Amino acid sequence: MKLNTASQVISFSRKLEEDGASFYESLARQYTRDSEVLLGFARENRKNIMRVERAYYGAITDALEGTFAFDINPDEYAIKTDAPQNVAYTDGISVANEMERKTAGFYNQAAEQAKSLLVDVLRVFLTMSRLRDDRQQKLADLLNTRNLTK
Amino acid sequence: MSILDEPIKEVLELKNYINGKWVKSASGQTLDVKNPATQQTIAKVPMSTKDEVNAAITAAKEAFPEWRRTPPLVRARAFFRLKELLEEHFEELSRVQTTEHGKIIDESRGETRRGIEMVEVATGIPSLMMGYNLEDIASGIDEYVIYQPLGVFGHIAPFNFPFMVPLWFSPFALATGNTFVCKPSPRDPISQVKLAELFEEADIPAGVYNLVNGGADAALALLDSPDIKGVTFVGTSAIGRDVVYKKCGETGKRAIVQGAAKNFMVVMQDANVTATIPALLTSFYGCTGQRCLSGANLVIIGDDAFYKKFLDTFAEAVSKIKVGYGLDDSVQMGPMQSVDGKERVLGYIQKGIAEKARLILDGRKPKISGDYPDTCFLGPSIFDNVTPDMTISREEIFGPVAGVMRIKDLDTAIKVINGSRYGNGNAIFTSSGKAAREFQYRVESGNIGINIGITAPMAFFPFGGMKDSFFGVLHGQGKDAVRFFTEGKVVIQRWY
Repeated sequence: MKLNTASQVISFSRKLEEDGASFYESLARQYTRDSEVLLGFARENRKNIMRVERAYYGAITDALEGTFAFDINPDEYAIKTDAPQNVAYTDGISVANEMERKTAGFYNQAAEQAKSLLVDVLRVFLTMSRLRDDRQQKLADLLNTRNLTK
Repeated sequence: MSILDEPIKEVLELKNYINGKWVKSASGQTLDVKNPATQQTIAKVPMSTKDEVNAAITAAKEAFPEWRRTPPLVRARAFFRLKELLEEHFEELSRVQTTEHGKIIDESRGETRRGIEMVEVATGIPSLMMGYNLEDIASGIDEYVIYQPLGVFGHIAPFNFPFMVPLWFSPFALATGNTFVCKPSPRDPISQVKLAELFEEADIPAGVYNLVNGGADAALALLDSPDIKGVTFVGTSAIGRDVVYKKCGETGKRAIVQGAAKNFMVVMQDANVTATIPALLTSFYGCTGQRCLSGANLVIIGDDAFYKKFLDTFAEAVSKIKVGYGLDDSVQMGPMQSVDGKERVLGYIQKGIAEKARLILDGRKPKISGDYPDTCFLGPSIFDNVTPDMTISREEIFGPVAGVMRIKDLDTAIKVINGSRYGNGNAIFTSSGKAAREFQYRVESGNIGINIGITAPMAFFPFGGMKDSFFGVLHGQGKDAVRFFTEGKVVIQRWY
C-alpha cells in the first residue's frame, strides 16, 4: 500500500526510526567494542521520532495538500529489523550502511513531495536525510578504525 | 490497513459547564451523537432549556467584573496554560473530532493546530489591546483611547469545524476581559466539552467560560438575552441573516455572522498543473467538501486541448481518492457528518442531472475502504458542462461535488463570480501576476487565493467574507476580533 497522506508518511518515518534503533541496539550487543557509537545511533533515532513529529504536529493544516501530496512506495524503503547474527563485523556494518542509504532515500523522496506544503516538515525531512549521509561516513570510519587496529 | 485507537470507549453522557461546575441538564431530552463512519452512538448530548442557558449567562455576568479587573498579562498567562494543555491533549482532541465529525485524521490534526494558534495569538493580548494617545491636542490637554471589554458574549457553533470555530472567538473574548457562553453544535459537541475541561484545568475562573449544550432553543436564549453583549455565529446564510443578525439588531448586540459560500476555483491555461491538481483535490474534497472555503465551481479557461487535458487529469486524480474511516490514516476522504447532509448532496446530484450537467464521476455509490455501513458515505463527484444559471452552480451543496465550467476568459469568469450571491473564498491558479492581480482586485470575496485552494486566514489575520457569506462589520480572528470584543473609550484630560 502506497503512502499518500501526511499522517501515513509520519507513521512510516516513526517505524523506520524505531526499527533502526532496535537494529543498532542489537548490533551493539554483538560488537561491544563499538557499542557506544552504535547505541548513540539508537538514541538519536528515538530523538528523531520526536523531531519529525514535532515538525508535523506544529505545521499540519487541513488547508494545504497534506492529504494528497504524497505517493511513496514503502516497500522500497523497508529495512531489516534484526541485526545479522554471527556474521563478520564488516557484514554487520554493511547492513547498517544499506539501512541508512534506504532511510536517506525515503526522507529525500518525502522532502521532494512535501515541497508545496508544510515547510517545517520538508526541513526536518532534509535534516533526517543529511543525518543519514553523516552516519554512512561514521560507519565507514568505524570500519577503517577496525582495519587499522587489526 | 491499521485503525488508530478510538478515543471514546463508552457512550458519554455530556453535561453543561456552568459557573465552574459540570451540571447535568434537567431537560430530560437528549440527542445521540453518532460516529458517522461506524454509526456507533458515542455520546448523548442534552437539549438544554432556556433557563439553563440563562443560568450560564448569569454566571458569566457575575464573573465579568473580577475578570475584567484581572491584569491582561495575568489573563494571558491563563492562555499560556491552556496552550500547554491543548498540546498535551493534541492527539486525543484530534481523534475525538474524527470520531464525532468523520473528517480524516490529518484534517482533524490540522483543525486542532489552527485552534491552538488562536490561543497562541490571544496570549499576546497585552500588546494587542493597547490603545493610543496624543499629547497636547490643545494646550495642556491630552487625548487617548483605551480598549475595554464589554461583558458577556455568546457563540453558536457550526458542525463542520466543531473544535476550531469556537476558538476563533473564545480566546479573544476572554483575553480581552469578557466572559463567554459557548453553545456547540449538537451534532458533534464532544471536542468542545473536552475543551471546556481544559479551560477548567487551566484555572480560568468559574463563570468566565461556560458551555451549554443544546439546539435551536438554547441558541435563541442566547440571542434573546439582554445580558449578552454580542454573538458570534457560523452556519447557514438563511439562519445567519434572518435569525441571528436580525435578532442581534433588534436587541442591540454586536454580531459576527458567517454564512454559506459557493467558491470558484479558476484555472488559467498558464497554471502549474502539477501543483494545481493536489491543491484542487484538497479544496473540493478535503473535509468531504463540508467547509465554507471548499471549492465548488471549477472554472477552466483555455483552449480545447488544455481544457480536455486538465479535466482528464483532474478527474483521474479525483477517481483515486480513497474513501473510508478517518482513523485509518491511509484514507483521504471521510464520510459526510450526517445522513441529512448526505441526502442533501444526493438531491443536488439529482438536480444537476436533471439540469443536463454531465456527471463524469458519480460518487453516489462509493467504494469504502474497510467494512463500514454506507449510511453517511459518499464518493467524490464531478459534473462537467455546468453553466452559471444551473442550481448546482449557484447553491451551496456542502459536499464532495465539483461543478466544472468552461469560460472563455478571465474577464467573463470574474463577472460570473461576482454574480454569485456569496463571496467567501475564491481562488485563481495562474503563473501570470497580471491575471492574479486583476482577480484579487475585482473579485468580490472576503478571502482570495492565488495558487491556494483553501484560503483559510491564519489566526493573526481576520477571516473575511462578503455578500451573503458574512453579516457584520468586524470579523473573527486577529485584530478584528480584538476590536469586536472591546469598546474604544476616548479620554480627553486636562489637569490644573
